[in-house]
Amino acid sequence: MTASMSQCLMQMVQTDYAISDYQSEIAPRWCSGCGDTAILTAMQRLCRDEQLPPEKTVSVSGIGCASRLPHYMNAYGFHGIHGRALPIAEGIKIRRPDLHVFVTMGDGDCCSIGAAHWLHAIRYNMNMTVLLHDNNVYGLTKKQASPTSPHGMKSNTTPFGATLNPLNPLTVTLGVSNVSFVAQAVDWIPDLLYQILRQAYHHKGLSFIRILQRCPNFMEHRFDDWVRDPSKMRILTHGDGLRLAPDLSRVYKNQETHDPLNMERALALAALEGEIPVGILYRNPNVPCYDELRAGERPNTPALVETVLNEEFDKVGIWPDGAAAQVGE
Amino acid sequence: MQQAQFANSFPSIKDAAPASVSALRPALFARYGALSELRHDYPLVLVDEGQGATLLRPLSRIIDDILKAAAAPGADGEAMRQQVLKLEARIRRAVNGGRAGRLSALWRTAAAEMVKESGEAPFGPLDSNLDAARRHLDLDGEVIGCNAETPARVVTHAWKARQDAKARRFRKRVESLILRLSDILKSDHMKSHEAHGAEALASAMGRDVDGSIDFDALSGVLERARPEDRLPEDRVKRIRHALEALRCQPFFGPGRASQSCPKRPEPYNYTFTSVSDALNAHRARLPDVLEFTKAMTVAELEVDNKYRPELHDPVFARFDESDLTAEQMDLLPSALICLRDGVTVSAEIARAYEALACGLPITVLIQVDDLLGPTAPEPPRNSFGAGTTRLASMAMGLNNAFVFQAASAHLFRMCRALRRGMDYDGPALFCIYSGATPSVRGVAPYVLSAAATEARVFPNFTYDPAAGADLASRFDLSVNPQCEADWPEHVLDYEDREGQGCRERIAFSFADFAICDARYQRFCHAVPQDGWTPAMMPTAEHLAEPDEGNAIESSYVLGIDPENRLFRVVVDAKIVEAALRCNDAWRRLLELAGVNNSHALRLLAAERKAREAAERKAEAEPEPALAPEPAPAVAEAPPVAAEPADEGAADGVPWIETARCTTCNECTQVNSAMFRYNENMQAYIADPDAGTYRQLVEAAEGCQVSIIHPGQPRNPDEPNLAELIERAAPFA
Ligand SMILES: Cc1ncc(C[n+]2csc(CCOP(=O)(O)OP(=O)(O)O)c2C)c(N)n1
Ligand code: SF4
Ligand code: SF4
Repeated sequence: MTASMSQCLMQMVQTDYAISDYQSEIAPRWCSGCGDTAILTAMQRLCRDEQLPPEKTVSVSGIGCASRLPHYMNAYGFHGIHGRALPIAEGIKIRRPDLHVFVTMGDGDCCSIGAAHWLHAIRYNMNMTVLLHDNNVYGLTKKQASPTSPHGMKSNTTPFGATLNPLNPLTVTLGVSNVSFVAQAVDWIPDLLYQILRQAYHHKGLSFIRILQRCPNFMEHRFDDWVRDPSKMRILTHGDGLRLAPDLSRVYKNQETHDPLNMERALALAALEGEIPVGILYRNPNVPCYDELRAGERPNTPALVETVLNEEFDKVGIWPDGAAAQVGE
Repeated sequence: MQQAQFANSFPSIKDAAPASVSALRPALFARYGALSELRHDYPLVLVDEGQGATLLRPLSRIIDDILKAAAAPGADGEAMRQQVLKLEARIRRAVNGGRAGRLSALWRTAAAEMVKESGEAPFGPLDSNLDAARRHLDLDGEVIGCNAETPARVVTHAWKARQDAKARRFRKRVESLILRLSDILKSDHMKSHEAHGAEALASAMGRDVDGSIDFDALSGVLERARPEDRLPEDRVKRIRHALEALRCQPFFGPGRASQSCPKRPEPYNYTFTSVSDALNAHRARLPDVLEFTKAMTVAELEVDNKYRPELHDPVFARFDESDLTAEQMDLLPSALICLRDGVTVSAEIARAYEALACGLPITVLIQVDDLLGPTAPEPPRNSFGAGTTRLASMAMGLNNAFVFQAASAHLFRMCRALRRGMDYDGPALFCIYSGATPSVRGVAPYVLSAAATEARVFPNFTYDPAAGADLASRFDLSVNPQCEADWPEHVLDYEDREGQGCRERIAFSFADFAICDARYQRFCHAVPQDGWTPAMMPTAEHLAEPDEGNAIESSYVLGIDPENRLFRVVVDAKIVEAALRCNDAWRRLLELAGVNNSHALRLLAAERKAREAAERKAEAEPEPALAPEPAPAVAEAPPVAAEPADEGAADGVPWIETARCTTCNECTQVNSAMFRYNENMQAYIADPDAGTYRQLVEAAEGCQVSIIHPGQPRNPDEPNLAELIERAAPFA
């Protein structure tokens, strides 16, 4: 009796979250084979391994297939409006610095309608992990060209092929002042995706991960060349960076040691053609964070909110002659 | 003294003529010659309020913190470390040379000079390293050196920090009362005839109404509905009166709600250089204090509508200073009185004790510059070593005052006590030795003040009546070197005549301190090695066993001359006697602090005797057998990283490259018993026999990343095997 009592207590105290604790009741509605599933899993794995309490975790998104992710996470979520995931996340972070904030955006979400927010979020460098699910297309609205669509891609808005060269989210991000963490992952090497996400989570400041994500529905063969030919994937490693398990190392032999403080090389890698670099391109833990610079002196607890409100109310509380006597006595 | 790092400047014994005594210093000072080059507790930054909990922080520690955060570990950060340390040395030299300013400004100047001298272009490596380091500078404040001004600067800084905190608390309370009282008056005014008048209504609508509204008529309508329950006139008067007193208080600068008071006087000055001035000011300001305290009390009653004239009027009519509570006094600023022994007339020092004794809210600083005093009596000054070391000890007798005594060199280490003294709600005395003794030449105040503590001439201590009821909790002597010893001992390295390195442990005593002082040098004479005799004895040893047989002239301390040559400095009997008195005083302080307490020692001796007797008895009995030696623990072998067996369908078993699975659910939807997810949500084949070969092949075809390898069919009777084996071929 006593033993089982104390065991119960122990279990109540030592919460041990499993992956299933981060899975919501809603089953993902992504098309079969969609790369978004791998990203969701990597995120749930991270939460489990870091034992993030679901009530202290929040994922914020805009609109799009990718942006459905918060529905599938058993944590706080904010399915926002198109392009506005970042400002919402910043608002959350500045008032609730205790929460772990993850932001999920599609390439349309981040790089077209939300582009202004994207640049300034990089510059503000607030503590959060940002995932750009880049499938090179507007998926949810059924195939329109996005800023990252390849030149010549035929879509509902570009029936004769996309006119312009695509925008490179990596070089753009690396070019913004105060950038502090930029990485690239691909959904089809989930272990590296997970490791990169973990490094991003531990980074102080805004960590930006562009994840190349397969959309079998509208961009069926877009990444086939790279999925099928591991030698076209260049894995970036460094001292405390990615570690390839032996079985993966045998598949992905094309590896490069890259110092993540080397911005020049990071820019060159980001602009690489033909090969896809995977890993941390740039990381600088010493960039100031807006949320730290502007941190409030007191954490915003419910008790504090109540006290402050009451103080304000008390200022306008007027006690006409005799009223207090009635109230108080 | 421990703060300064060792510099390689050994004293040495060389043939030399007897040195002129006037240039002698204690041998242990050899390390602290060029203080500007040594990292020590000065320059000291008087940290601005609101930047962490620190009042004071040595520049060297700030730099260490910055380097820890900014410079990469190992060789990568070495360049930055060197550059920032050079910057620190430059600031230290500037401050020692008399430059004053805030840390950020001194940093900027020093960095600019360094970049300029290096000839490097702006934004070069030096510039950017210094700039990167500066970003980690998260505090700022005035930077001070250790000199005659230090005690007053530090105490004033701590006092100001305390007054600022008080001002914030004061404003918060007073402002809230002002707002609430004015709201009462405002809401009453809204019921007035005036507020309902045509003019008031028109002005509320703005200019553009151009006659389309008849405000007289409107006013008439409103006037009929005007509420009648106005505040009683005497209450309005009382509130107005209290409001004015709160808004025009002369104690702290105005807050937001009282900025506009036209009659506002300049806030009172609370810093004084004489006790009489402070007491006079206290008396002159008493009516204001009473007026304000009354207004506060009335206001607090009024905002809650609890003022009952029949009850309260008579109380306030006879309210005087005897009604002031400690809490009410504590709301107002406390005075700081800075006195300087030897400069302030001695009657003023005596008055300070009186003022402290009567419990007024005052903070008194007595700065001491000369500890030993003249060698001949000059009443009322103490002479021959008795100096002013007893000022603080005397104040401890007052019982209700906080007492703090420290040498300038140790102010940073006593920083917490300093703050406690400021926060203490009662009188506080700070007795600080500056180290700037006019009759000591050629020794930096930092070194001399540290030496005073080492020599037990000016021990650091605090007496905090708020810390507890007994002496053990109130009296703290712990911030002294080698507390349990009579004199602290240090290692002296020197070279002998042959240039061989020698090392000796020597005590630092009162006599060492005294030989620095020009006035006392006529009581010593230096003897080079030729004259050393076995009859000579180090003063500390001599003091430990004042054997009558020893000739007193043979007592010496080790000294060095400006060329670092070592001498024995034989000291006069008068110095030895003064040293004995000093030692005596130190022992009494130790007793107060509970170290070597004579009562306890007596008890202890009795206890030890009893225990030894018991042990002797126990020895007679046989010892129990020893337990066998425990076997050495088996060293835990590190787990051998198992190289994963080379996977493959060599034996025809189906498999998945699990690490590459993207969790797309495709295969698990085909057959969830055959394909399962592991703890990382990546698929593996849980049971190849839970389904058909067809399912395996279809899953392999459906897998977007082609990582399912179906292997060989396991059931030879499955239909259409030939076709399936062909389809499985690309996934082998
Ligand atoms: C303000 C606004 N404009 C347009 C839309 C229509 N819309 C919904 S999703 C989407 C694009 C989504 O593409 P992407 O961000 O790449 O996400 P994916 O669906 O590819 O994951 C658009 C244009 C909208 N919902 N709101
Ligand atoms: S449309 Fe594309 S991106 Fe959207 S769920 Fe389907 S596969 Fe995924
Ligand atoms: S089909 Fe392939 S990628 Fe999808 S879950 Fe199965 S093994 Fe993983």
